[in-house]
Amino acid sequence: MSVFMDLNLNYTTDKSRMRSLIETAAHLGFSTVAINHVFEPTAKKKQRTCCLCGNTCLCLPQGRSRPIRVLNRLTVVMSDSSHFRPNAAEYRGFDLLAVQPTTEKLFHAACMLYEVDIICVSVTEKLPFFFKRAPVNGAVGRGVVFEVSYSAAIRDSTRRRYTIANAVSLMESCRGKNVILSSAAEKPLEIRGPYDITNLGLLFGLSDADAKDAVSTTCRSVVLHAETRKLASGIIYTMKSCTESSTPAAKRAKPHLT
Amino acid sequence: MCPSCAVCLNCACPKLFLTAPFLVGRYLLCEVIVPDRRHLLLLDDRAVAASVREAVARVHGDYGAALCSSRFSGYRSINWAPTVLSLSSVKYLNAHTGIVFLRFPKRCYKLLWSALPFITSIEARGQSIACFLNCLHVGGTIRTCQKFLIRYNTQQLHRMLPKCKNEEEKQQVKKSILKCTLTKGNRKGLDFPSDDDED
Repeated sequence: MSVFMDLNLNYTTDKSRMRSLIETAAHLGFSTVAINHVFEPTAKKKQRTCCLCGNTCLCLPQGRSRPIRVLNRLTVVMSDSSHFRPNAAEYRGFDLLAVQPTTEKLFHAACMLYEVDIICVSVTEKLPFFFKRAPVNGAVGRGVVFEVSYSAAIRDSTRRRYTIANAVSLMESCRGKNVILSSAAEKPLEIRGPYDITNLGLLFGLSDADAKDAVSTTCRSVVLHAETRKLASGIIYTMKSCTESSTPAAKRAKPHLT
Repeated sequence: MCPSCAVCLNCACPKLFLTAPFLVGRYLLCEVIVPDRRHLLLLDDRAVAASVREAVARVHGDYGAALCSSRFSGYRSINWAPTVLSLSSVKYLNAHTGIVFLRFPKRCYKLLWSALPFITSIEARGQSIACFLNCLHVGGTIRTCQKFLIRYNTQQLHRMLPKCKNEEEKQQVKKSILKCTLTKGNRKGLDFPSDDDED
């Protein structure tokens, strides 16, 4: 049985809507979800404190015995290189870090330099730059994945064209590796089941195996990559109770990710 | 009943007919998910078929619409299928649980399946029900889909067991779990098409 993950559920302040969103994801069979807080530095000066909503919802995903795992994720929409400050203290509260670059220079920097886990491909507008092989290969070598979100395509017809156009041009450059598909769902009706998303991946130009990986294995490698960001030189994992202990084999940095 | 020709399996069914390539298809077992379960009862097979066709036409245009309606003209309606039109792609619909079987031709089922996530609502009885389709299983015949559906329903009943509010409900659920079987011939248990084993 594959482990399916949806790493982009938009955060809303409405707690009951968040709860029904997570319950729907569990019903559809996702074993891990990540609640995404989008941060646009131009909108506010100060970073709003993330309310890590105390998720004690014990919804069981289909066919699993452990409750659904809920992670926290931050997406920084960058239009300038000063917007993303690496190793900032505020980023430590989040399990996953993502950036959405809006210019070619920022895309290059994000692929090669920044310590992020996910690079979001914008789906609401025509991409102002083309994907070049060099930064894309650099990102793939480092273990950074590219994310395409599909709920904009479900909502609106013009966005559907942009989503498919941007996704297809991404697949040409990265040859289908290191891609994840996720919903950017705000309502429970915008999520789709994992097999349906695998099929959508075929529309975006992925092969059968790559499309299934985009929902399962690649997502899992992103979560592990995110954990290695918190490790010191890849083997020491600091627990919150302030005792240092060496990690079991599963938590060590994997060679193909670094 | 052989699903590909309206002839009882006990009689001699011409092999040619059974293996005819234009008769193979893929059956998609989908679940309609709505926020309010009462809206499920408003669904009927024509509404679902219409919304599937409309979504395919919206996403894949005229090519998709043409693929969706291509059928072997000799396909006969089978007595137990609750659909009136034999050419419809909806082969079974259970309004109580929201399970629907869709049939697509084998060569293009992936293309037509890729249009299903774009369904956001179904028009039934004058109302527009906001919902989406979740595909659970793809099978080559209706029988494999039935087998999967029985296992799935049994799992759902197991998941419902901890949520029962009193002893009587628990007993009912346990009885339903034990009744779920697909026996050859008379098909007791999952009494197709009227399911009385869930919820």
